Amino acid sequence: MAEVNPPAPSTVSTGKTASPQVMDRRSFFSWLSCAWLAFAAAVAASGTTMIRYLFPNVLFEPPSQFKIGFPDDYKIGEVFEGWKSKYGIWVVRSVDSIYALSTICTHLGCTPNWLEGEHKFKCPCHGSGFRITGINFEGPAPRPLERFRVALAEDGQIIVDKSKKYQQEKGEWNDPESFLKV
Amino acid sequence: MADKGSWKDGITNSQVWKSVFRHGDPGKDRRNQALVVLSNVFLHLHPVQARKSGLRMSFTWCMGGITFFLFLVETLTGILLMFYYRPVAEYAYNDIVALREHVPLGIMREIHRWGAHAMVVTVWLHMFRVFMTGSYKPPREFNWNVGVILLLLTLLLSFTGYLLPWDQLAIWAITVGSNMARATPFLGHEGPGAALLKLGDIKLIHAGADVRFALLGGRFVAAPALMRFYVLHCIAIPLAAAVLMAVHFWRIRRDGGISGPM
Amino acid sequence: MQQLKDLINGFSSPQLIITGASIFFFLYLYFRKFLTEPSVSLFFLTLLVGFFAFSMTDANFREIVLKPDNVPIVAMIYLIAFFTWFSLRRAVENDEAITKGGSTFEGKESDQKLYTWPNLIYQEFICSILVGVVLLIWSILLKAPLEEPADPSISPNPSKAPWYFLGLQEMLVYFDPWLAGVVFPTLILFGLMAIPYIDKNPKGNGYFTFVERRFAITLFLYGWLIMWVLLIIMGTFLRGPNWNFFGPYEKWSVHKVVPLVNVNLSEFVYVKWLNTGLPKHWFLREIFGIVATVLYFAVTPFILAKTVLKRMYIQLGIFRYAILMILLLPMIGLLLKMLLRWSFNLKYIIAIPEYFLNV
Repeated sequence: MAEVNPPAPSTVSTGKTASPQVMDRRSFFSWLSCAWLAFAAAVAASGTTMIRYLFPNVLFEPPSQFKIGFPDDYKIGEVFEGWKSKYGIWVVRSVDSIYALSTICTHLGCTPNWLEGEHKFKCPCHGSGFRITGINFEGPAPRPLERFRVALAEDGQIIVDKSKKYQQEKGEWNDPESFLKV
Repeated sequence: MADKGSWKDGITNSQVWKSVFRHGDPGKDRRNQALVVLSNVFLHLHPVQARKSGLRMSFTWCMGGITFFLFLVETLTGILLMFYYRPVAEYAYNDIVALREHVPLGIMREIHRWGAHAMVVTVWLHMFRVFMTGSYKPPREFNWNVGVILLLLTLLLSFTGYLLPWDQLAIWAITVGSNMARATPFLGHEGPGAALLKLGDIKLIHAGADVRFALLGGRFVAAPALMRFYVLHCIAIPLAAAVLMAVHFWRIRRDGGISGPM
Repeated sequence: MQQLKDLINGFSSPQLIITGASIFFFLYLYFRKFLTEPSVSLFFLTLLVGFFAFSMTDANFREIVLKPDNVPIVAMIYLIAFFTWFSLRRAVENDEAITKGGSTFEGKESDQKLYTWPNLIYQEFICSILVGVVLLIWSILLKAPLEEPADPSISPNPSKAPWYFLGLQEMLVYFDPWLAGVVFPTLILFGLMAIPYIDKNPKGNGYFTFVERRFAITLFLYGWLIMWVLLIIMGTFLRGPNWNFFGPYEKWSVHKVVPLVNVNLSEFVYVKWLNTGLPKHWFLREIFGIVATVLYFAVTPFILAKTVLKRMYIQLGIFRYAILMILLLPMIGLLLKMLLRWSFNLKYIIAIPEYFLNV
């Protein structure tokens, strides 16, 4: 702490004349800077705690893992919309795989609609368009829709885990867990 | 009861009246006009005297005063609305409908909403006037900054209030508005640089821990967001605005009153 | 009638409106002496009222303007137009008085002191009553909007932010959320707060003037009227379903198809000009955009300091000048990006979705 207030060379000898019990100026200032540092640390710590307070430990949101039935329930080349409002996913079965697409537009988080006629997802908010694979091709969306982890449970049903997501632009769609081989 | 003035004098000379008003009739003389401003806690926001040029409506447009008046209107109608409104996702919408259908004087929400819109416009026009007259120049630089923060608080007040009716208009406006926070550099989970903040393999910033989550209390606009916006709207931001308004008004006087050429 | 409407619809596009408004803005400031004349202003007012009266006969226009939440914006247009005219008129008169050696409108009376009771307090009282009455009538006539209960699985088309943020939402057409939604608002607030410390001009304190503060007023008015208010008006009245742009008399059809194929700078360079295909690594892919952006922000200030803003650079000193550049360059950059989008369909100058970094 002494570095904070370096002693002035040849100060007036106020410190020396004072009795040992009285603090001299130099140590007074170093104690004071200690106190200020402690105060600042306490304020910073309580500030951090208050920020932490904003993030609850338990969240009452829909479960992130759920079962969505058997692979054969889904038809090839079809976008299944049944889980859209309940779980926030579309289930798509292509010729050789099944994947779960997030229903959140990557632009500003609106919910796009699947347009069967035009064979694309179209976001009503700002007009972003996505192909059936989730790849963005028009509008302001900066990147493709996200996919979630899909796996087979022991009873043969598909299990979706929304806590694990895969982004195409990071090359994560090649990850074997991002789709289900059928 | 001999003449007309006597009963009026009877009131103004009574102990009760005199205990409240320390000054005589301000309509009559200069001394009382000064005293009324000095002795009244509300009126003493004003100085006793001011430049003639600064008192002209053509100079001030009265926009700051109107903004303050609208703030008071919003406070009053807001308190009245709180008697009926519950910030719970199951009730909120029905309570808003009830405010229109089941409550006498069913225009309270209208006054509150249109007053809020008007307040945004008057704040802008007030700032516009202050800029055009160069009134932010020394010695009023600091007060201009207080004003900028008050502008921000006004917009935030309006923004947090927008969610409370809990209808389609509300949640999608807030979804679009708050989703921008996802992209905050470093602090939003879709912002540039957020991926750099990690300890080993653990990401510090993700959908469950970023600025947007702190605002909404969840990953999307749902019941916790309603509660947070309600508290911000009714308590936190008005309180902050009231404190800053006190500073703002005080500094107008300390910095030499309404501006005018030197 | 219908031909006039078709003509106006045909001319309604962001590029024409913003460019036209900018030209009008600078002409108005340049010819302010003539254009702020009361008789000329009355002509403009008639034009504006006439436009509204004529347009109200159109069902599509009526439907959008009379949405309860949009009514205050119509009122705002008139209020802002009036006060802009008024302050410029007063500035012109004061400037004339100053050049003749006389004193300004405010200067004549600034030495006289008046008692605030009754002179100010009665004024505030009457203003409050008038505003209260207007608010009450407005509330009786117009119901506050209330739509269907919230449903997270159905996004209405279009979904708009509250009206005072629509300027930012309009910028989202040209920029990613981290710029339009976070960086620009921060810069606007920071810029507003920096104004009194950057503007070292001691003149024009406490009275309306234009000549003594040309640069400051032009910059502020352009930012406020064109880049904030005009964008709000466009976002409110002219942006419809799928955020497509509609003319004022056009039906807001969900099925309007506008080709939105935008191309990144990297694709321009590698695919169109060099014919090599995009490189794998993002840094190599985006090197041209990164260089362009760095050059824009690093070199322009020096060029400006040597040429156009030479006097200002000397006046302000390096620190204030640097802050001015931090504020000015993004503002001009926004306009430049708009121009690039309109003329070349350019989507991003730098596109690194791997790191959410798109410019």
